[in-house]
This record gives sequence, structure tokens and C-alpha cells, in this order.
Amino acid sequence: MSNQDSLRTLNEIFAEEVEACIRYLHMAVTIKGIDRLVLQPELLEAMNETLDHARIVAEKLLEMGGVPSLDLRIQLPGEMTTGRDAVRNSVEFERGALGAYQELMENAEGDVRLEEFARAQVALESEHLAHFKLLLED
Amino acid sequence: MATREVFEHEPVSHPVAHYLVTVSELLEEYGYARVSDVARRIGITRGSASITLKSLRQKGLVTEDGRRFLGLSETGGRIAESVLAKRRIMKDLMVRVLGVSEDQAKKDTCEIEHLLSSETAKRAKLLLDFVDSDSKASLEFKRNFDRFAKKRG
Repeated sequence: MSNQDSLRTLNEIFAEEVEACIRYLHMAVTIKGIDRLVLQPELLEAMNETLDHARIVAEKLLEMGGVPSLDLRIQLPGEMTTGRDAVRNSVEFERGALGAYQELMENAEGDVRLEEFARAQVALESEHLAHFKLLLED
Repeated sequence: MATREVFEHEPVSHPVAHYLVTVSELLEEYGYARVSDVARRIGITRGSASITLKSLRQKGLVTEDGRRFLGLSETGGRIAESVLAKRRIMKDLMVRVLGVSEDQAKKDTCEIEHLLSSETAKRAKLLLDFVDSDSKASLEFKRNFDRFAKKRG
């Protein structure tokens, strides 16, 4: 993977994390019903974690000579969310982030630091995904 | 396939048409389509693509196998085929008959392809066939139209 490819992938991951952060915030404030009590803190915690990941990815980008850029196309409806939908959506975009880090890891061959970074993030995202999947079980 | 069957499909929104056509194009070009490929082609995050594709799966338009490779259901495939056929016709019409630039025609077609009725698509195709027929009448039509357009500036 060339440095340019790595920067492009990192920029994509940066967008994944920032967008996930916005989605978590939106779900946290729009969640309705009794689920609000349990899931709102969970979603806000996830929001903070994704923001933190976005910052780490941005730092990595800068370290590799790039500059983080964003082109988000996101529309969030003005509707309340059910707990189940919030968790289902979380599974989908956690999957997206995991896929992006996996791609980075697979293509980072030869760049030990980048590979290690990607590997650590894959482990973290896998944990998130497993956690949300567990919440969907009856 | 008969013209009628190709053009007719249930009305779909712009994003739905965009996703179905993208999956269809990726399958045609690479033989496979993944969420990441769709996201990259459309220029959005995997998270967004994943959420929309999930709803298209629930509507029975898109399929996904155990390895997360995407496909189109019969209905999804029919819609994609119809939108693509309309895209080709309208782009041809804009470029070859109206004299619009390729880039502009591409942009305009993208905006209307999913909204076009089968009636309009069929008439547009007829007009193209007429222009392509190279009959005396079609050559005269082209000449007269070009002359008229020139005069109007």
C-alpha cells in the first residue's frame, strides 16, 4: 500500500468515525420509550469513544504527512428512534468502521506501526460490534 | 426483452435508484459488490451505505450472502435495468439530438432517470430511432433543427 493509499484509507476512516459520532449523538437524543433510560448513556458513551477514535485517526494522518479532510453527506430524519432501531443502526455503522480498519490492516503490510495501529483498532471495533450484537439478542 | 418490460418499474426515490444502479454496475464491472465498493463509488461512508443497504435488503431489493457480498433480487435487478435503460436513452437524446455536452447530459440524466415514465422513455427511444434511421425525413429534421438552433443562438 503506497503512502497515498494509506492516507486515503485513513481519511475514509476519519469520515466513518466522525459520522458515527454524529449518528450516536442523534440517536442518543431521539431515543424514545423506556429504552431511553438504559440506552441513552450507552449511546453517549459510544459517541465519546468514536470522537476519540476520530481524533486518534486524525493524529495518525498528520503523523503520516496528510491533512484530515471531510466530505460528509448525512441526513438524519427529525423522528424519534426506538431502542431496537438504534442498536440495529449501531451494528451497521460499527460494521462499516470495522471493515475499514480491517482493510487498512490487510494493506498496511510492511508498515509495522500502521499495521499495529490498525490491528488495535480492529480489536476495539470488534468489541463494540460484539457488544451491540449482544444487545439485539432476545 | 421487450421495450415495455425494460422500462416499467415501481416508482423509486433517487437514492434507491442510485444504490441499485451502483450495485448493478459493480456486479457488471467486477463480478462482485461489497458495502465498501458501493460506499466508495457513491462517495459516502461505509456506515451510511450499510444502513441504506440494510433497508433495501428489508424491502427485498438487495441480497447479501454469508460473506457479505451483495446482489440484486429479481425486482431490484428489474428496477436497475429500467433506470439504466432510461439513462442511456435520455443521455443519447440530450447529446445527439439536443446537442447538450456529455458532462451536462450525465448530470441532468442522473436527476431524472428514476422519475421518467415508461411512456416518455418509449417516445424518446422512438425519436432516437427516427434520427438514427438516416431516412430523408430524419436527415432533413436534423438539418432543420441544427439550422434553427444556430439562428436562435
